[in-house]
Amino acid sequence: MLWKRHIPILIVAVIGSLTLFGWFIDEPNIKAFVDDDATQWFDILASFAIFLGGFNLLKMQMQKVIRKKKGWQYSLFAIGGFILAIIAGFFYKGNPDVAWGTHVTADGTLFKWIFTYMFAPLGATMFALLAFFVASASYRAFRIRNFEATLLLVAGIIIMIGRVPLGSSISSWFIMYLLVLIGGVVINSVLKNKQYTAIFVSVGIIIVTSAGSSMGWPLDQPGIFYLPHLQEWIYMNPNVAGTRSIMMGIGLGIFSTSIRYILGIEKSYIGE
Amino acid sequence: MKYITDLIIKMSSVDRRWIFLVIALAVILPLFFPMGLPIRATPTTQQVYDTIDALPHGSKVLVSCEYGPSTKPEIHPMVLSILRHLFKNKHKVYVTCLWPDGQFLASDALNLVARDEYGLTYGEDYVLLGFRPGNEAVVKGIVSNIRKLYTIDAKGTKVTEIPMMEGVNRFEDFDFLFSASAGYPGTIEWVQYAVDPTNVPMSTGTTSIQVNEVMPYVASGQVQGILAGMPGAAEYEKLIGVPGIGTSGMDAQSIAHLVIVLFIVLGNVGYLIERNRSKKY
Amino acid sequence: MNDRYFMMGAGGITLSFLIYWFMGHPFFITERLVMFLAIMTFSGTLMFFIRKARRGEEIFLRDIPGLKAVEEAVGRSTEMGKPVLYVPGIMDMDQVETVAGVIILGHVSKMTARYETTLNVPVSRAIVMKAAQEACKESYLLEGRPDMFHEDMVHYLTDEQFAYAAGVNGIMVREKPAACMYMGKFYAESLLLAETGNSIGAIQIAGTASQAQIPFFVTACDYTLIGEEFFAASAYLSQRPELIGGVKGQDMIKLIVIGLILFGVILRFLHDGGMIDFSILEFLTVK
Repeated sequence: MLWKRHIPILIVAVIGSLTLFGWFIDEPNIKAFVDDDATQWFDILASFAIFLGGFNLLKMQMQKVIRKKKGWQYSLFAIGGFILAIIAGFFYKGNPDVAWGTHVTADGTLFKWIFTYMFAPLGATMFALLAFFVASASYRAFRIRNFEATLLLVAGIIIMIGRVPLGSSISSWFIMYLLVLIGGVVINSVLKNKQYTAIFVSVGIIIVTSAGSSMGWPLDQPGIFYLPHLQEWIYMNPNVAGTRSIMMGIGLGIFSTSIRYILGIEKSYIGE
Repeated sequence: MKYITDLIIKMSSVDRRWIFLVIALAVILPLFFPMGLPIRATPTTQQVYDTIDALPHGSKVLVSCEYGPSTKPEIHPMVLSILRHLFKNKHKVYVTCLWPDGQFLASDALNLVARDEYGLTYGEDYVLLGFRPGNEAVVKGIVSNIRKLYTIDAKGTKVTEIPMMEGVNRFEDFDFLFSASAGYPGTIEWVQYAVDPTNVPMSTGTTSIQVNEVMPYVASGQVQGILAGMPGAAEYEKLIGVPGIGTSGMDAQSIAHLVIVLFIVLGNVGYLIERNRSKKY
Repeated sequence: MNDRYFMMGAGGITLSFLIYWFMGHPFFITERLVMFLAIMTFSGTLMFFIRKARRGEEIFLRDIPGLKAVEEAVGRSTEMGKPVLYVPGIMDMDQVETVAGVIILGHVSKMTARYETTLNVPVSRAIVMKAAQEACKESYLLEGRPDMFHEDMVHYLTDEQFAYAAGVNGIMVREKPAACMYMGKFYAESLLLAETGNSIGAIQIAGTASQAQIPFFVTACDYTLIGEEFFAASAYLSQRPELIGGVKGQDMIKLIVIGLILFGVILRFLHDGGMIDFSILEFLTVK
């Protein structure tokens, strides 16, 4: 009971309190612990723990190969890649003029070759998949179900188009004409009267055309309809407000969880 | 009319592989047939440019590279542009990396810009201090004592033997920080542990998705502007007058965004038609 | 500890600090006093509501659909004879979100033990692997099903972000789990995981405090726990009074913060208008 319960709780309480309250204490040893040592202890632990992970991975893949489970041939790639990385990191430099350690970034080494021609393209490919997945997710999920969803959709479209050069090439007058047409569609669906719709659209077009002609059709005026200005406003105002409030909520959540750990209230890490 | 509405409803629930194909074409075709859409700098990009331009000649600038191969298309062009701007204005550039991948990419960037384009001398005009593990502990270490953290640079040379490291002992000895960040650790850690306590000015370049998280710091003045993803990189290339990968990707990104918006509109038109039909019946 | 001892302890700590302060507070960084007082006030508020809950007082918590759906999802997997896939994020145990993800894994593994459903937990960090193995082992033991637990249900893939995403996607496409849960800290791979999960028809429940990834999870998953809801999940799933009291305390702290923000805005307005000398911004700036 002492080892499984009380000692882990004591360790968490002492180290947690020291790290938390150490920030308020102007004493070199405590400052060094809080600023450097605590994180470095963790990094050292994590670095040695990689052996556990590596052996677990090798064990799982080798079991698949030995037992000839479904798809065992792919496990050969996993094991082969593992061994190749070990060889390139610890046994074979490829460029004899470079010292061990700096060989991981020096030109002409096997490790650098693996990074440039295997690791980098594979990572870029996986990241590039996001472009396709964003398109299919947006297509499937962005539906005008209610007012909030509509607002989200409109804001998303403004940001997507306003952020790229295409958006800065679209005149605010085009947006105003578009709004007049959308207004006409809305009025038609609400009032169901073609006459009112026609009057609204005609008057709208006349007003926009007169205003545009008188101002000389500037691309970015009126600014409220220019997409890059709109997207900048959305980023700097409603977005910042929402982000700040979510950040505060998350910060409080992190604080609360951490305090529960330090005070020994949350004991799920020992299975309670 | 019914035929058209039926077609729209059918298209609004199309197999996602057709969407993938259209997106692929929307990205590939503008790369082969560029349209040359004009690029205009946003206020946040202009702020980064103005801040760097206002630095006195010969300033000590810390550039921190925390990105990897997956985010290279977004961040690498802005790092190249920033380095070009810094070297053009004859600043001393110190490069650190909070991510291990960042060291490879920083090394490539410095070789291309500092060594090949500007013919500068390593150790006198620029230095790659390299990656150190520890996440925010590295930032704290740079703030308190950079020489304790970096005893050698990325090439194995002792820091005491590098001429431009003379007089550089802590973060406050730098005049400016630029963080090219794709996640954690990155911009936010630099703001929290380095910039806020010391008031050294800072700008940043991040992936588009991270802009939301960093924008509150820009709005409060803790970060002087932000380069937002590849569009931000393209805008900065325009400002310094050297087009690069960022600019070449803008046509493709513009068309891809437009295609996604059209798909969303199509999906919603189909959804509204279906909703009206189900109300009728 | 009963109320009397608790109040004596709290009073003792406060008195000690006051004595320490008036004795010249050696070693204390005075510029950080405001933050110290804030931490003590917030901790005190938390403790008050935790003790209130322990005394048996009813505390109302609103329903969170995502948490109610966890048991449904495990049940669905059991009926379909397919595994449950649980992803505890891609960061290490030094992130509070990962810790919260492992806590929720403990609860989910109790359900899988109870319903005899296969659980698959691919992880991205070795320390998380050990912590998750321990959490699952304890849960299976508590449910009286130690025979069902095997260490390989929690297995390490890789530290590298997109290699991990590729590995998990491969597991999803091959094994076709009926339920996919993503609870922890995520970055760009969140949409890759969620979209692949969507394509195999799995029910998906996500929980994260990574702001940038919340929209992707909301778009692609059936249920999403946003920010604090994710940290409160442990209280909801365990129904332990002290944890529920902690959630209530968190909400009260938020009310205090809102009040302070409004008060601060008024003070700032008065300062900028030249009506008072006191600058709330300087007072709150932490050095």
